[in-house]
Amino acid sequence: MSVTAPLVNDAGPGGQPGDEPSGIIDRVYGFLRGIPTGILWFIVVIWSIPTLGLFINSFRNRDGQRGSGWWEVSPSELTLDNYDQIFSARAGLGRSLLNSAAIAIPATIIPIAIAAFAAYGFAWIDFKGRKGLFIATVSLLAIPLQVALIPLLQMFVGGAKYTLPLLDKTITIVPDFDLAGTTTAVWLTHTGFAMPFAIFLLHNYISSLPKDLFEAARIDGANHFTIFWRLVLPLSIPVLAAFAIFQFLWTWNDYLIANTMIGANASQQPTTILIANLAGDFGRNENILPAGAFVQAFVPLVVFFALQRYFVRGILAGSVKG
Amino acid sequence: METLERIEADGGPDEPAPLESEAAARDARWYFQAGAAVATIIGLLYWAVVEEKIRSTLITVVITVVASAGLWIAANVLFDQVRSRWATFNAIAFGLLGAVLGVLLHGNGITVGSGSGFLPWVIGPLVGAAVLGTLGYVMTRTQDANQRLMIATGTGLAAGILIAVAVREQFQPGLDFVAIVVYTAILAAIGAGISILLKHSPVGGAMIGAAIGWIVGAWGGADLGDGSLVESLVATVVPATLLGARFGMTTDPDYAERVNIDTHSRATIFVGPAILFIFAMLVVPAIRTGYLSLLDRNSEEFVDGENYGSVFTDRNSLDVDNWTDMFTSVPFLIGVVLLGIAVVVGAAMKKRTGRAVEIGNPTVGPLVVGLLLISFGAFTAMRGTLINNLWWVVVVTFFSTALGLAIAVLADGRRGERVAKSIIFMPMAISLVGASIIWRFVYLARDTSTEQTGVMNALWVGLGRLSTGSGLPTLIVTVVLAICVVLALIFLSNALVKREYGRAIVPAILTVSLGWFFIRFVGIIGDGVGGFKIDDDGTVSGQTIFFVQEVPYANFWLMVIMIWIQTGFSMVILSSAIKAVPTELIEAAKIDGATESQAFWRVVLPQIATTIGVIVTTLIVGVMKVFDIVKVTTNGQFGTQVLANNMFDEAFNRVNIGKGAALAMLIFFSVLPVMIFNIRKMQQEG
Repeated sequence: MSVTAPLVNDAGPGGQPGDEPSGIIDRVYGFLRGIPTGILWFIVVIWSIPTLGLFINSFRNRDGQRGSGWWEVSPSELTLDNYDQIFSARAGLGRSLLNSAAIAIPATIIPIAIAAFAAYGFAWIDFKGRKGLFIATVSLLAIPLQVALIPLLQMFVGGAKYTLPLLDKTITIVPDFDLAGTTTAVWLTHTGFAMPFAIFLLHNYISSLPKDLFEAARIDGANHFTIFWRLVLPLSIPVLAAFAIFQFLWTWNDYLIANTMIGANASQQPTTILIANLAGDFGRNENILPAGAFVQAFVPLVVFFALQRYFVRGILAGSVKG
Repeated sequence: METLERIEADGGPDEPAPLESEAAARDARWYFQAGAAVATIIGLLYWAVVEEKIRSTLITVVITVVASAGLWIAANVLFDQVRSRWATFNAIAFGLLGAVLGVLLHGNGITVGSGSGFLPWVIGPLVGAAVLGTLGYVMTRTQDANQRLMIATGTGLAAGILIAVAVREQFQPGLDFVAIVVYTAILAAIGAGISILLKHSPVGGAMIGAAIGWIVGAWGGADLGDGSLVESLVATVVPATLLGARFGMTTDPDYAERVNIDTHSRATIFVGPAILFIFAMLVVPAIRTGYLSLLDRNSEEFVDGENYGSVFTDRNSLDVDNWTDMFTSVPFLIGVVLLGIAVVVGAAMKKRTGRAVEIGNPTVGPLVVGLLLISFGAFTAMRGTLINNLWWVVVVTFFSTALGLAIAVLADGRRGERVAKSIIFMPMAISLVGASIIWRFVYLARDTSTEQTGVMNALWVGLGRLSTGSGLPTLIVTVVLAICVVLALIFLSNALVKREYGRAIVPAILTVSLGWFFIRFVGIIGDGVGGFKIDDDGTVSGQTIFFVQEVPYANFWLMVIMIWIQTGFSMVILSSAIKAVPTELIEAAKIDGATESQAFWRVVLPQIATTIGVIVTTLIVGVMKVFDIVKVTTNGQFGTQVLANNMFDEAFNRVNIGKGAALAMLIFFSVLPVMIFNIRKMQQEG
C-alpha cells in the first residue's frame, strides 16, 4: 500500500488553478472543467454510431439504403420488408434462430451441473493432488480452441479409434454417432470447452463461502452430498446465473466452432453462420443484411440489458476465457 | 466483489437514495427479474410445443441432466454406505462390477446363451453380479489373511473357467504368445512403476498390470475363432486368477481406512466427470493435434517439422524483404522523435526523482506512444500472417486498455456514469460476426458519382469537398480552425512562461496536431485534406477509401472493430479497480499538495497496475486467435490474413490436416507464455 512515488508538485509558485481573481480566467477554467464530461459523451456517441446506423438502416427500403446515408433517413422509406424477407423461407433466419437456441440452451445448462460438482470438490473436499489438479484445470482457461478442433471434428465424423501397437488391432474408443454437421456436435464441444472457465468461476465463489457453515453442517452429520445439495447449490445461485449468462452469450455468438462442426449443412446452421454467409454475397442481399444482423444481436442484447449485473460479474471474475 | 456490488447494484456512489426507496427499488428489480425468468420459461415451453427442434433440444437437455444427476446421486448414495455398512457396500459395488462385466460379454454376444429377448439379455449380467457380489460380501466377513487369499483366488479361478467355457466357439482366440509375453511384461512393469510412485509394494501393481497385459495380449493379438477351449481357458483363467489373488492379498479395511476410502471416492465423484470432459474435449485432442502437425496433409507419413517450416518460409506468412522501408515510414520517424523526447524527459526526471521511468511519471507517455509508432512503422514495412498477428496483438491490446482506462477515469463519479458505461460495454454482447457486419456498413465505399452511405467515407469525402471548396462552409471551418490553433498556442505559451511543463503537454500536442491539420486544410502544403482527387484538367472530384482493402492499413481498420468491442471489457474491469482504490490514499495525497491529475498518476495508477496486467494478458490471448472478424470482412485477402483464419482455411477448406494442425499449435505456443504466467501467479496465490 505504500506510495513510493514522490509527489512532485509541477506547478511553480502561484501556479495553483483558480489563484487569479479574474472572472474571465474563472470562466475559462469552468469551461475547461466541463471538457472531460464532453469528451466522455463524445466517445459514447462515437461508440453507438455504428450500431445506431445498422438499426436505422434495417428499417429502410433498398433504394433508401443505397441512395443516402442512414443519417438522412426520411419517413417515406421506412418499411418492415427487410424483416419479412429475412424471415422468409429462402433466407431462413427463423430456422437458424431455432438452431442457435438448440446450441445455446444445452451448452449453457449441461456444463453448469458438471462444473458445480467439480467446483465444490476442488473447494471443500480434501484429497491428494487437489491443488495441482485445480491449477492444471484452470490453466486450460487460456488454451486456444483451435488446438482441439481438428481431432474433435474427426471424432464427430468417424468416431475415435486407436490402433494397438504391435498387434495391428484397431479398437473403437468412441463409436461414430453420426454427429457430423449437427447442432449436437456443436453443443458437446461447447460443453467441453466451457469446463475450465465454469470450474474457475464457480470455485472462486464456492470456496469463499464461510467455513463455519460447513463445519456446522458436518457436526450435524451431513456428508458432502447433503452439504452440496442443501447448502452450496442454493447459495450459489448468483454465480450460477453469472456463468449461465456469460456462457449463453458466448455460445449464441460463437462462429468458429459452429462453422467447423456444421459448416455448409444449411439445415443446421445457427444465426452467426447465416448472416456471415449473407455478408459473403453482399451485393444481392445488401438490404436485408442489417435486419439479419440486428435480429442476430437482438437476443444477446436483451439478455445483456436485462441481466447486465450478472454478466459484469462473470466478466470480472474470470477475465481469461479461452 | 463488494465494490462491484456497490457500483452495479446501486447506481454508483454519486446517487445516494433514501433507504426505503432503495429497498423498494430492489424489490421492484427482484420482481422484474423473477417475472423475466418466468416469462422466459413460459416462452420456452410454448416454443417447445410449437417447434419440433426446440422440443427435441429440451428433451435432450432434460434427459441428459436427469440421467447424469441420477447416476451421480446413486454413486453418492452407494458410497454413503462405506463408513458404517461396509458389507452392504462391498456386495453392491462388486455386484455392479460383475453386472458390467456381464453386460460387456453377454451384451456383445460373446458368451453362450446370449440372444434376443429379455431373459437371455439379463442372464449374463445377473450371473456376473451374483458371483462378484457374493465374493465382495464374503470377503468382508473373512479377516484371516490365508482364508482371504484362498477365497479370492478360488473365485477368480472359478470365474475365469466359467467365462472361458461360456465363450462361444467363434470367439475362442487363437493365441499369439509373443504378444501375450510382450504386453504382460510391459504392463506389469508399468503397474509396478505406478505402485512404487504411490509408495506401495510393487508386487500388487505388477499383478494387476500383468493381468491387464495378459488380457490385451491374449484377446487383442489373437485371431478370434481360430482357437480352442484350451486356448480360451489360458486367455481367461490366468488374468482372472491373478486379479483374484491380488484382491485376496488385501486386508479388510478398518474404520479409519474406510473413512479414507469415503473421502477419496467423493473427490472422484465430484471432480471426475468434469475432468473426464476436459480430457476428452481438450487435453486429448490437443495432444493429437500436436501429433497430426508432424504428419503430412492426409496424416499418413511423418514429415518432421516441414509443416512448421513451411509457415516460416512461405512469403504469405512471413515476408520481411522490405523491412528497411520502415526507416522511412512516417509513424516510425514520429516514434523516433517521441523516443528522443522520452530520453530528454527521462534525464530530467532522473535528476529530480532519481528514477527515469516509473508508472505515472511523464516519461512513460512519449515512451509508450513512441514505441507503438515505431512498431507501426515496422509492421507496415513487413508483411505476412505472423506479422499481422503481432500487429493485432500490439495495437488492439494497447488501444483497448488505454481507451478503457481513459473512459473509466472520465466516467468515474460523473452524472450518467452507468448509462455511458452501458453503451460502451454493449458491443461485448454482440457477436464478432455481427460487429463485423455493423462496421462493414461504416466502412462502406460507394461509387463517387453517388452519395456515400458509409459514415467514414461520407466524412472523408465531405472533408475533401470542404477543404478544396471555396464557399461559406469552408470559410467558417477555416476561421474556427484558426481560432482553435491560436487558443492552443496561447495556452501553450502561458504554461511555458509559468514553467508549468506538466500542464503544457496537452496544449503542445493540440498545437502541433491542429496546426498541421490547419496547414494541410487551407492548402499551404499540398492541395488540401480529405477524399478528393484533382484531374489533369483541374476538375475536383471525390475519392473514397476502400478501408478493408487498403494494403497494409486494412489490418488496422479490422483492428478497430476489435478495439470497439474490447474497450468495454477493459473499461468495466478498470472502473471497478479504480473504485476499489481506498479514498484515504487519494485524500492523503491531496493533503500533501497533489493536484487531481497527480493523485491519479502517482497514487491510483500504481494501485491498479496488477489489474492492467490481467487485462493485457487476457487481451493478448484473445487477440492472438482472432478469427471471426477477418473471416467475415476480408477472409484474409488484401494482406489481412491471420493465424486462426489461415488455420481454418488449411484444415477445413484445403483439407491439409498437417499444415492446419501446425498452425493451431503455433497459436497455442504463442499463448503458452501467458498460460505459464497465469499458472505461476496461481501457485503464488496458493
